[in-house]
Amino acid sequence: MLRFEKRDKTPVQLRVLVPICSVLLGLFMGSVVMLFARVNPLRAYGAIIKGAFGSAYTFSETLVIAVPLILISAGLCLVYRMKFFNIGAKGQYIIGAICGSYLALFGPATMSRPLLLTLMMVLGTLGGALWAIIPALLKVYWNVNEVIATLLLNYIASYILWFFMYGTWGTRGFPLSKNFALNAQLPRILPSPSRLHIGLFFGLAAAVIVWIIIRKTRFGYEARVLGENERAARYAGINVFKTVIIAAVISGGLAGLAGIAHTSAVLRVLQLEINSDYGYTAIIAAWLAGLDPLVAVGISVLLAALEAGGYQIQIVMRVPFGIVGVIESSILFCLLAGEIVTHYRVTLTRRLAA
Amino acid sequence: MEGQEQLMLVMSNITKRFPGIVANDHVNFALRKGEIHTLLGENGAGKSTLMNVLDGIYYPDEGEIVIEGKRVDLRSPLDSMKHGIGMIHQNFMLVDSLSVIENVILGLESQGFYIDKKSVADRIEAIARKYNFRVDPYAKIWQLSVGEQQRVEIIKTLFKGARILILDEPTAVLTPQESEELFGILREMKSEGKSIIFISHKLNEVMSVSDRVTVLRKGLLVGTVDTASVTERELAKMMIGRDVLFRLERKEIEQGREVLKVEDAQAHNDRGIMALNKLSISVHGGEIMGVAGVAGNGQVELAECITGLRHLVSGHVTVEGIDVTNATPCTLASAGVNYIPADRLGVGLVPNLSTVDNAMLRKYRQKPMCRGTFIDYGAACTYADGLIEKFDIAVPLRNAPIKVLSGGNMQKLLLAREIAENPRLLIAEHPTRGLDVGATEFVRKTLLEERDNGVAVLLISEDLDEILMVADRVAVMYEGRIVGIVDTHHVDIAQIGLMMAGAVGAKA
Ligand SMILES: Nc1ncnc2c1ncn2[C@@H]1O[C@H](COP(=O)(O)OP(=O)(O)OP(=O)(O)O)[C@@H](O)[C@H]1O
Ligand SMILES: [Mg+2]
Repeated sequence: MLRFEKRDKTPVQLRVLVPICSVLLGLFMGSVVMLFARVNPLRAYGAIIKGAFGSAYTFSETLVIAVPLILISAGLCLVYRMKFFNIGAKGQYIIGAICGSYLALFGPATMSRPLLLTLMMVLGTLGGALWAIIPALLKVYWNVNEVIATLLLNYIASYILWFFMYGTWGTRGFPLSKNFALNAQLPRILPSPSRLHIGLFFGLAAAVIVWIIIRKTRFGYEARVLGENERAARYAGINVFKTVIIAAVISGGLAGLAGIAHTSAVLRVLQLEINSDYGYTAIIAAWLAGLDPLVAVGISVLLAALEAGGYQIQIVMRVPFGIVGVIESSILFCLLAGEIVTHYRVTLTRRLAA
Repeated sequence: MEGQEQLMLVMSNITKRFPGIVANDHVNFALRKGEIHTLLGENGAGKSTLMNVLDGIYYPDEGEIVIEGKRVDLRSPLDSMKHGIGMIHQNFMLVDSLSVIENVILGLESQGFYIDKKSVADRIEAIARKYNFRVDPYAKIWQLSVGEQQRVEIIKTLFKGARILILDEPTAVLTPQESEELFGILREMKSEGKSIIFISHKLNEVMSVSDRVTVLRKGLLVGTVDTASVTERELAKMMIGRDVLFRLERKEIEQGREVLKVEDAQAHNDRGIMALNKLSISVHGGEIMGVAGVAGNGQVELAECITGLRHLVSGHVTVEGIDVTNATPCTLASAGVNYIPADRLGVGLVPNLSTVDNAMLRKYRQKPMCRGTFIDYGAACTYADGLIEKFDIAVPLRNAPIKVLSGGNMQKLLLAREIAENPRLLIAEHPTRGLDVGATEFVRKTLLEERDNGVAVLLISEDLDEILMVADRVAVMYEGRIVGIVDTHHVDIAQIGLMMAGAVGAKA
C-alpha cells in the first residue's frame, strides 16, 4: 500500500529532479503509445525538439504561442494567490478578441495606426476585464462559486463569438471576418515568415509588473492576506470587495489583451478558432510555476514548445493528431503527479493484518 | 531505575531540529502504565514537538522510542495508532460539517466500503457511558460546544484502541467545570490502566491531576519529578529558571473619561440567533473591566460588535464620544480600538504568512511600512524585529509561516502587535489562554500597564481568578445581557458564580 506523509520542507534537489524525471516519464509513456501506432519515438521526439527550438524561425513560432500563455498566466498567478479560482481565462480571451476586433473591423478607416492599435488593445483588455468582473461580483455579493461561474461564462463567450461569426461579422456565410486592414495589425518584430509580434513585450512587462504587485505593493499584500484568511483581512481593514474586483480585473484584462493581441498580430482575422484554449493551458503554467509570474514565463515557453513541436511532427511525420495530444498530456500528467512527490513523502508498506 | 515491565513507553535521546532551532535536544521521557504524566514547559519549550514525534507527525532526527519493551518506528499517525497511541491536538482536528460518527471513523483503516452507522453509534455511546458522559453520535461537529468537541476527540482515540492518550493543552479552551469533568474522565481511564500524557500551563491542575511531571526548558530536559514531592512554586522555577510572581501589584489610579459606551446592543450570532439582548456597558479610561460569564453567552459577539466584525441589529456603540455603531474595522482602528481575539488563528493572525507579514497586519497602510502604493519590506522587518525583541517572542525564522510558532508565541505576537498601536480601548479575549506562567504574568502586567496609561481595557475571560487579579470591576454576562457589575475590591465569588449561572442579579 502507498502511504503519503506531508513533508515539512521540500529538499532543493527534489525540486529540480522531480520535474525532470516527470518529463522523462511522460516521454516514456508517450513512447509506448507511439510504438503501438508504429511511430519511432526517438524520431518523433527529435522532430518535436527540432520543431520547437530547431531554428530561429521555429523558436519564434514557439514564442508566438508563449506570448498569450505568459500574459494570461501572469494574471492567474495574482488571482490564484487570492484564492479566487478563475478558470475563465478562455472566455475572457474570447471577449477580449471580440471587443478589440470590433474596432479593427468597423472602426473609422482614417484613424492612424498607433492610435487604432492602442484603442484595440485597450478595448480588448476592458472586454476581458468586464468578463471577469461578472463572476467577481457574483462572488462578493452572493458568494457564488467562481469556478462554476467562470467555467460557464466560457461557454457563453464561445457562443457569443459564434453568434457574431455566423451573423453579421462573417463573410458570405462563412464564419470568418474580413481580413484586418494593415492599420489594425499589431506589428511583428521579425522578418517574415516569423509571426512573433510585439505582444511579447506586453507579456514580459505584465509578468514583471504582476511580480512587483505581488511582492512589493500594498495591493499584493492585501491579496495575499485575503487569500489566506478572510476574517483576518476584514479585521485588518482590507476592503474585500475592492480587492477581489481589482484582482479579477487585472487577471481578466490580461486574458483579454492576450486574445486581441493574438488575433490582431497572428491571425489577422476573427474566426471561430482563435486558440482560446490557451486560457486553459495558462492555468497549468501558473500552477507549475508555483504562482510566481516570472517563473511562469519560463514554464509558458516550455508548454508552448510542446505545442509547437506537436504541430511540427504532425506535418513532418504525418502522425495522427491524437498522438500529439497523448504525448502532451502524458508529460503534463506526469508533471502534475510529480507535485505529489515534492509535497509528500511517499513510502511503500505492506498492509498489516487487521 | 524503574522496573522495565511497568514502563509503557520510553523515549530516549529524542532530537528534533527545525530550521533555526533545536526543538527537542536529546530528550528522555518515560511513561508508566496507569499514570497521568504532565509535560510542563514554557511556550516554545518543545512539548508539542515531542508529542508530535510520538504521534508520528514528525520523525525525530535522533533517538529511539520503545513501547512496552519493543522498539518502534513511528512514521505517521497511523503507525502510532497501531501501537495504541492517540493524540488530541492543541487545535482540534475535526471536520465541522460531518457528524460525530463520521469523524470517529475518519481515517480508520479497518472500515470497509460500507459503513454500519448504527453499530458505530452504539460503540460511541458505550464508550461515553463507560466514562460517565454523553454525546449525540448523530450531531454535527459545528453544533457542539468546545468541551463536547473535545470529548469527540477523546472518543475518536479510544475508538481506535488507544492505550496511551496524549492531550495537548486540553483545558486551555475549557471552563473550570468542564476541566473538572475532563479530569474525572482521565482518572477513570487511569484506573483502567491506560497511560495519559497531559500538557497544561495551569499549575494548579497539574498538581491536582498528575502523578509525575516532566519539565522541558528550551528543548532540553530539566527533569522528572513526583508531583507529591514538589510545590507549584518549585515547578514554576524548574520551568523558567527563576521565581515568578503569583501576585500582581495594582496601583490606585484616577479613573479617566468614559471611553467605551455600548447602549442596548442587539446582534445575531453565526447561527442567526439573537446573541446580544439589549446589552449596555460602559468602560472608562484607566480601568480594566472584566467580563465574566460561561462561554457562549454573547461575549464573542460583544467583542466583535465593538471591533466592527459583526453587524449590530440595533443599539449604539460610542468610543470617546464618537458614534462608531457598525463602523468599519478601519475606522475603528483609527479610533484606537484594538482587539486580541480568542480565535487567534481564525481572526487575529494569518497562519500561512510570515511573522513580518503578520506583524504589520494593522499597520501596513502607515509609514514607514507604506510608501504610497508600495510596501517597504525592510521597514516591515525592522518593525517586526522591534516587537519580537520588546515582547521577547521566540521566532526561529521571521520569514517562516507563523503557524510553526509555538502556541504561546503566536499569542505573544498578537498581543505585541495590538498593544504597539497605542490603543485607547483594548478588547482582550482570553489573552492568557495557552500561555506559560511567565508569559501569563507578562501579559497581565502589560494589561495593567496599559490601564495605568489611561487605556480602557475590556477583559473577557472565563478565568475568574484572572479577572479578580487584574480587573477593577467585573461585569457578569448571561444570555446576552449584563446581569450585574461588581467591584473586584470587595467581591463575593459565590455571588458571581450564581450570577454567571443566571440565578440572581447584582446586589443593589
Ligand atoms: N514545523 C515547524 N517548523 C519550524 N519550527 C517549528 C515547527 N514546529 C515547531 N517549531 C518550533 O519549535 C519550537 C518548539 O515548539 P513547540 O510547539 O513544541 O512548543 P510548545 O512547548 O508546545 O509551546 P506552547 O506551550 O507555546 O504550545 C518553537 O520555537 C517553534 O517555533
Ligand atoms: Mg504546544
